[in-house]
Amino acid sequence: MTSTRRIALCAVLAALALTFSYLESFFPLALFVPLPGVKLGLANIVTVFALYFLGASSALAILLVRCLLGALFAGNASALIFSLLGGFSAMLVMILLRRCRIFSIFGVSIGGAAAHNCGQILAALLTLGNAAPLAYLPVLLLVSLLTGSLTGLIAALLFRSMAHFPMDHI
Amino acid sequence: MSMNRSVKLKPNAADLLIVAAVLLLAALALFRFFPGGARDGAQSAVVSIDGKIVERLPLFQRAQRSYTANGYTLRVSVEDGGVRVAQSDCPTQDCVHTGVISRRGQSIVCLPARLTVTIEGAPDGYDLVVGQGVAE
Ligand SMILES: [Zn+2]
Repeated sequence: MTSTRRIALCAVLAALALTFSYLESFFPLALFVPLPGVKLGLANIVTVFALYFLGASSALAILLVRCLLGALFAGNASALIFSLLGGFSAMLVMILLRRCRIFSIFGVSIGGAAAHNCGQILAALLTLGNAAPLAYLPVLLLVSLLTGSLTGLIAALLFRSMAHFPMDHI
Repeated sequence: MSMNRSVKLKPNAADLLIVAAVLLLAALALFRFFPGGARDGAQSAVVSIDGKIVERLPLFQRAQRSYTANGYTLRVSVEDGGVRVAQSDCPTQDCVHTGVISRRGQSIVCLPARLTVTIEGAPDGYDLVVGQGVAE
Protein backbone atom coordinates (compact mmCIF):
# COMPACT_ATOMS: atom_id res chain seq x y z
CA MET A 1 0.00 0.00 0.00
CA THR A 2 1.39 3.39 -0.93
CA SER A 3 1.66 5.97 1.84
CA THR A 4 -0.83 8.26 0.06
CA ARG A 5 -3.40 5.49 -0.02
CA ARG A 6 -2.65 4.64 3.59
CA ILE A 7 -3.23 8.24 4.68
CA ALA A 8 -6.46 8.42 2.66
CA LEU A 9 -7.67 5.16 4.23
CA CYS A 10 -6.80 6.47 7.71
CA ALA A 11 -8.84 9.61 7.04
CA VAL A 12 -11.84 7.58 5.85
CA LEU A 13 -11.61 5.35 8.93
CA ALA A 14 -11.34 8.37 11.25
CA ALA A 15 -14.51 9.80 9.64
CA LEU A 16 -16.22 6.42 10.11
CA ALA A 17 -15.17 6.31 13.78
CA LEU A 18 -16.60 9.81 14.29
CA THR A 19 -19.87 8.65 12.73
CA PHE A 20 -20.04 5.71 15.17
CA SER A 21 -19.31 8.06 18.10
CA TYR A 22 -22.15 10.29 16.97
CA LEU A 23 -24.61 7.44 16.38
CA GLU A 24 -24.02 5.80 19.76
CA SER A 25 -24.94 9.05 21.50
CA PHE A 26 -28.55 8.17 20.57
CA PHE A 27 -28.38 4.92 22.54
CA PRO A 28 -30.02 5.52 25.95
CA LEU A 29 -27.11 4.11 27.97
CA ALA A 30 -27.81 6.79 30.58
CA LEU A 31 -30.87 4.78 31.65
CA PHE A 32 -28.55 2.08 33.03
CA VAL A 33 -25.42 4.08 33.73
CA PRO A 34 -26.26 7.68 34.61
CA LEU A 35 -22.76 8.99 33.97
CA PRO A 36 -22.72 11.54 31.16
CA GLY A 37 -19.69 11.05 28.94
CA VAL A 38 -19.76 7.25 29.17
CA LYS A 39 -20.29 5.65 25.77
CA LEU A 40 -20.93 2.15 24.46
CA GLY A 41 -17.71 2.04 22.44
CA LEU A 42 -19.04 1.22 18.97
CA ALA A 43 -16.24 3.32 17.49
CA ASN A 44 -13.94 0.52 18.68
CA ILE A 45 -15.04 -1.38 15.54
CA VAL A 46 -12.80 0.99 13.62
CA THR A 47 -9.95 0.56 16.11
CA VAL A 48 -10.12 -3.25 15.80
CA PHE A 49 -10.20 -3.08 12.02
CA ALA A 50 -7.36 -0.53 11.81
CA LEU A 51 -5.24 -2.48 14.29
CA TYR A 52 -5.48 -5.69 12.26
CA PHE A 53 -5.41 -4.16 8.81
CA LEU A 54 -3.06 -1.18 9.11
CA GLY A 55 -1.12 -1.87 12.31
CA ALA A 56 -0.80 -0.19 15.70
CA SER A 57 0.65 3.18 14.65
CA SER A 58 -2.07 3.95 12.09
CA ALA A 59 -4.75 2.74 14.52
CA LEU A 60 -3.36 5.11 17.17
CA ALA A 61 -3.38 8.05 14.74
CA ILE A 62 -7.02 7.33 13.80
CA LEU A 63 -7.97 7.08 17.48
CA LEU A 64 -6.31 10.40 18.33
CA VAL A 65 -8.06 12.18 15.43
CA ARG A 66 -11.41 10.65 16.45
CA CYS A 67 -11.07 11.77 20.08
CA LEU A 68 -9.91 15.31 19.30
CA LEU A 69 -12.40 16.00 16.50
CA GLY A 70 -15.20 14.33 18.48
CA ALA A 71 -14.62 16.67 21.44
CA LEU A 72 -14.34 19.64 19.07
CA PHE A 73 -17.63 18.85 17.29
CA ALA A 74 -19.42 18.20 20.57
CA GLY A 75 -17.95 21.44 21.91
CA ASN A 76 -17.32 19.55 25.10
CA ALA A 77 -13.83 19.44 26.58
CA SER A 78 -14.86 17.22 29.49
CA ALA A 79 -15.94 14.52 27.01
CA LEU A 80 -12.35 14.44 25.74
CA ILE A 81 -10.95 12.80 28.87
CA PHE A 82 -13.64 10.07 28.62
CA SER A 83 -12.92 9.26 24.99
CA LEU A 84 -9.13 9.51 25.41
CA LEU A 85 -8.91 7.28 28.50
CA GLY A 86 -11.51 4.84 27.10
CA GLY A 87 -10.01 4.72 23.62
CA PHE A 88 -6.38 4.40 24.67
CA SER A 89 -7.07 1.76 27.35
CA ALA A 90 -8.90 -0.30 24.73
CA MET A 91 -6.09 0.20 22.22
CA LEU A 92 -3.37 -0.82 24.69
CA VAL A 93 -5.17 -3.97 25.84
CA MET A 94 -5.99 -5.00 22.27
CA ILE A 95 -2.36 -4.54 21.14
CA LEU A 96 -1.20 -6.74 24.04
CA LEU A 97 -3.90 -9.42 23.57
CA ARG A 98 -3.23 -9.56 19.83
CA ARG A 99 0.47 -10.12 20.50
CA CYS A 100 -0.42 -13.22 22.56
CA ARG A 101 -1.53 -14.81 19.25
CA ILE A 102 -3.84 -17.31 20.97
CA PHE A 103 -6.95 -15.14 21.05
CA SER A 104 -9.32 -14.67 18.10
CA ILE A 105 -10.56 -11.28 16.97
CA PHE A 106 -13.55 -11.87 19.31
CA GLY A 107 -11.41 -12.28 22.42
CA VAL A 108 -9.30 -9.26 21.49
CA SER A 109 -12.44 -7.14 20.92
CA ILE A 110 -14.03 -8.19 24.23
CA GLY A 111 -10.82 -7.38 26.11
CA GLY A 112 -10.70 -4.03 24.34
CA ALA A 113 -14.34 -3.24 25.15
CA ALA A 114 -13.81 -4.09 28.84
CA ALA A 115 -10.70 -1.89 28.94
CA HIS A 116 -12.65 0.89 27.18
CA ASN A 117 -15.27 0.90 29.92
CA CYS A 118 -12.68 0.70 32.73
CA GLY A 119 -10.96 3.72 31.16
CA GLN A 120 -14.23 5.64 31.09
CA ILE A 121 -14.89 4.86 34.78
CA LEU A 122 -11.37 6.12 35.50
CA ALA A 123 -12.24 9.33 33.64
CA ALA A 124 -15.39 9.73 35.76
CA LEU A 125 -13.34 9.10 38.94
CA LEU A 126 -10.86 11.81 37.93
CA THR A 127 -13.59 14.26 36.93
CA LEU A 128 -15.63 13.83 40.11
CA GLY A 129 -12.76 13.34 42.55
CA ASN A 130 -14.43 10.50 44.45
CA ALA A 131 -15.16 6.79 44.16
CA ALA A 132 -18.90 6.98 43.41
CA PRO A 133 -18.62 6.03 39.68
CA LEU A 134 -17.02 2.68 40.63
CA ALA A 135 -20.52 1.47 41.49
CA TYR A 136 -21.22 1.34 37.74
CA LEU A 137 -18.16 -0.78 36.91
CA PRO A 138 -19.96 -4.19 37.18
CA VAL A 139 -22.78 -3.25 34.80
CA LEU A 140 -20.36 -1.59 32.36
CA LEU A 141 -18.16 -4.71 32.35
CA LEU A 142 -21.21 -6.88 31.54
CA VAL A 143 -22.18 -4.44 28.78
CA SER A 144 -18.65 -4.73 27.39
CA LEU A 145 -19.14 -8.50 26.84
CA LEU A 146 -21.98 -7.60 24.46
CA THR A 147 -20.34 -4.65 22.72
CA GLY A 148 -17.02 -6.55 22.46
CA SER A 149 -18.72 -9.57 20.85
CA LEU A 150 -20.58 -7.27 18.45
CA THR A 151 -17.39 -5.41 17.53
CA GLY A 152 -15.54 -8.69 17.00
CA LEU A 153 -18.36 -10.09 14.87
CA ILE A 154 -18.47 -7.04 12.60
CA ALA A 155 -14.69 -7.00 12.19
CA ALA A 156 -14.64 -10.78 11.49
CA LEU A 157 -17.38 -10.47 8.86
CA LEU A 158 -15.49 -7.59 7.29
CA PHE A 159 -12.24 -9.56 7.05
CA ARG A 160 -14.08 -12.64 5.78
CA SER A 161 -15.66 -10.71 2.91
CA MET A 162 -12.36 -9.01 2.17
CA ALA A 163 -10.70 -12.41 1.73
CA HIS A 164 -12.59 -12.73 -1.56
CA PHE A 165 -11.41 -9.34 -2.66
CA PRO A 166 -8.05 -8.77 -4.35
CA MET A 167 -6.11 -6.58 -1.91
CA ASP A 168 -2.97 -6.09 -3.92
CA HIS A 169 -4.07 -2.94 -5.69
CA ILE A 170 -5.16 -1.11 -2.53
CA MET B 1 -2.61 -8.91 2.29
CA SER B 2 -0.73 -11.87 3.73
CA MET B 3 -1.46 -10.57 7.26
CA ASN B 4 -5.09 -11.56 6.89
CA ARG B 5 -4.27 -15.24 6.86
CA SER B 6 -2.84 -15.06 10.39
CA VAL B 7 -5.96 -13.35 11.77
CA LYS B 8 -8.13 -15.70 13.82
CA LEU B 9 -11.69 -14.92 12.74
CA LYS B 10 -13.55 -17.61 14.68
CA PRO B 11 -14.07 -17.47 18.45
CA ASN B 12 -11.92 -20.09 20.18
CA ALA B 13 -11.40 -21.60 23.63
CA ALA B 14 -8.75 -19.03 24.57
CA ASP B 15 -11.35 -16.27 24.17
CA LEU B 16 -13.26 -17.83 27.05
CA LEU B 17 -10.30 -16.88 29.29
CA ILE B 18 -10.95 -13.23 28.46
CA VAL B 19 -14.69 -13.59 29.06
CA ALA B 20 -13.95 -15.30 32.39
CA ALA B 21 -11.52 -12.52 33.37
CA VAL B 22 -14.14 -9.83 32.60
CA LEU B 23 -16.81 -11.72 34.58
CA LEU B 24 -14.41 -12.17 37.51
CA LEU B 25 -13.59 -8.46 37.51
CA ALA B 26 -17.31 -7.59 37.38
CA ALA B 27 -18.02 -9.95 40.31
CA LEU B 28 -15.14 -8.51 42.35
CA ALA B 29 -16.35 -4.96 41.69
CA LEU B 30 -19.90 -5.99 42.59
CA PHE B 31 -18.94 -7.50 45.95
CA ARG B 32 -16.59 -4.65 46.73
CA PHE B 33 -19.20 -1.96 46.17
CA PHE B 34 -22.37 -3.75 47.23
CA PRO B 35 -21.11 -5.56 50.35
CA GLY B 36 -24.27 -5.75 52.41
CA GLY B 37 -26.86 -5.33 49.75
CA ALA B 38 -29.74 -5.20 52.20
CA ARG B 39 -31.29 -2.02 53.51
CA ASP B 40 -30.56 -1.17 57.09
CA GLY B 41 -31.49 1.75 59.25
CA ALA B 42 -27.93 2.87 59.94
CA GLN B 43 -27.21 3.91 56.36
CA SER B 44 -26.75 7.46 55.28
CA ALA B 45 -26.64 9.34 52.00
CA VAL B 46 -23.30 11.10 51.63
CA VAL B 47 -23.47 14.22 49.47
CA SER B 48 -20.17 15.33 47.92
CA ILE B 49 -19.35 18.32 45.78
CA ASP B 50 -16.04 18.52 43.92
CA GLY B 51 -14.93 15.36 45.74
CA LYS B 52 -15.47 16.83 49.21
CA ILE B 53 -18.17 15.54 51.54
CA VAL B 54 -20.62 18.34 52.32
CA GLU B 55 -23.33 16.49 54.23
CA ARG B 56 -24.42 13.11 55.55
CA LEU B 57 -28.17 12.56 55.58
CA PRO B 58 -29.49 9.57 57.59
CA LEU B 59 -31.76 7.52 55.35
CA PHE B 60 -34.34 6.82 58.05
CA GLN B 61 -35.18 10.49 58.40
CA ARG B 62 -37.19 12.43 55.85
CA ALA B 63 -35.25 15.41 54.55
CA GLN B 64 -35.20 17.94 51.72
CA ARG B 65 -31.99 19.76 50.87
CA SER B 66 -30.90 22.12 48.14
CA TYR B 67 -27.29 22.26 47.00
CA THR B 68 -25.74 24.76 44.66
CA ALA B 69 -22.63 23.43 42.96
CA ASN B 70 -20.71 24.78 39.99
CA GLY B 71 -23.62 26.95 38.90
CA TYR B 72 -26.36 24.31 39.19
CA THR B 73 -28.93 23.83 41.90
CA LEU B 74 -30.08 20.34 42.89
CA ARG B 75 -32.84 19.40 45.27
CA VAL B 76 -32.10 16.14 47.12
CA SER B 77 -34.93 14.37 48.84
CA VAL B 78 -34.68 11.57 51.44
CA GLU B 79 -37.82 9.53 52.04
CA ASP B 80 -38.88 5.93 52.74
CA GLY B 81 -35.31 4.77 53.32
CA GLY B 82 -34.07 6.00 49.94
CA VAL B 83 -32.65 9.14 48.41
CA ARG B 84 -33.15 10.78 45.03
CA VAL B 85 -32.40 13.99 43.21
CA ALA B 86 -35.91 15.38 42.95
CA GLN B 87 -35.04 18.39 40.84
CA SER B 88 -32.02 19.76 39.04
CA ASP B 89 -31.33 22.49 36.52
CA CYS B 90 -28.37 20.65 35.02
CA PRO B 91 -28.53 20.14 31.22
CA THR B 92 -28.31 16.33 31.10
CA GLN B 93 -30.78 15.46 33.93
CA ASP B 94 -29.04 12.10 34.41
CA CYS B 95 -29.09 12.63 38.16
CA VAL B 96 -32.87 13.05 38.20
CA HIS B 97 -33.40 10.06 35.88
CA THR B 98 -31.36 7.81 38.16
CA GLY B 99 -34.35 7.82 40.52
CA VAL B 100 -34.31 6.46 44.06
CA ILE B 101 -31.28 4.64 45.45
CA SER B 102 -31.47 2.77 48.75
CA ARG B 103 -28.66 0.21 49.02
CA ARG B 104 -25.15 0.66 50.30
CA GLY B 105 -22.66 1.37 47.49
CA GLN B 106 -25.23 2.81 45.08
CA SER B 107 -24.74 6.35 43.90
CA ILE B 108 -26.26 9.19 41.98
CA VAL B 109 -23.86 11.26 39.95
CA CYS B 110 -24.38 14.73 38.49
CA LEU B 111 -21.35 15.37 36.32
CA PRO B 112 -22.19 18.97 35.31
CA ALA B 113 -22.54 20.01 38.97
CA ARG B 114 -19.76 17.62 40.06
CA LEU B 115 -22.09 16.42 42.81
CA THR B 116 -22.50 12.82 43.98
CA VAL B 117 -24.85 11.14 46.43
CA THR B 118 -23.53 7.79 47.71
CA ILE B 119 -25.10 5.48 50.23
CA GLU B 120 -22.75 4.39 52.97
CA GLY B 121 -23.08 2.33 56.12
CA ALA B 122 -22.95 3.99 59.52
CA PRO B 123 -19.57 5.59 60.26
CA ASP B 124 -17.48 3.89 62.98
CA GLY B 125 -18.52 4.70 66.51
CA TYR B 126 -21.93 5.80 65.35
CA ASP B 127 -24.03 3.01 66.75
CA LEU B 128 -27.62 3.41 65.93
CA VAL B 129 -30.61 1.30 66.87
CA VAL B 130 -33.76 2.01 64.96
CA GLY B 131 -36.92 0.75 66.59
CA GLN B 132 -38.87 -1.18 64.03
CA GLY B 133 -41.08 -4.18 63.74
CA VAL B 134 -43.06 -3.51 66.90
CA ALA B 135 -45.73 -1.30 65.46
CA GLU B 136 -45.66 -2.89 62.01
ZN1 LIG C 1 -27.53 16.43 36.98
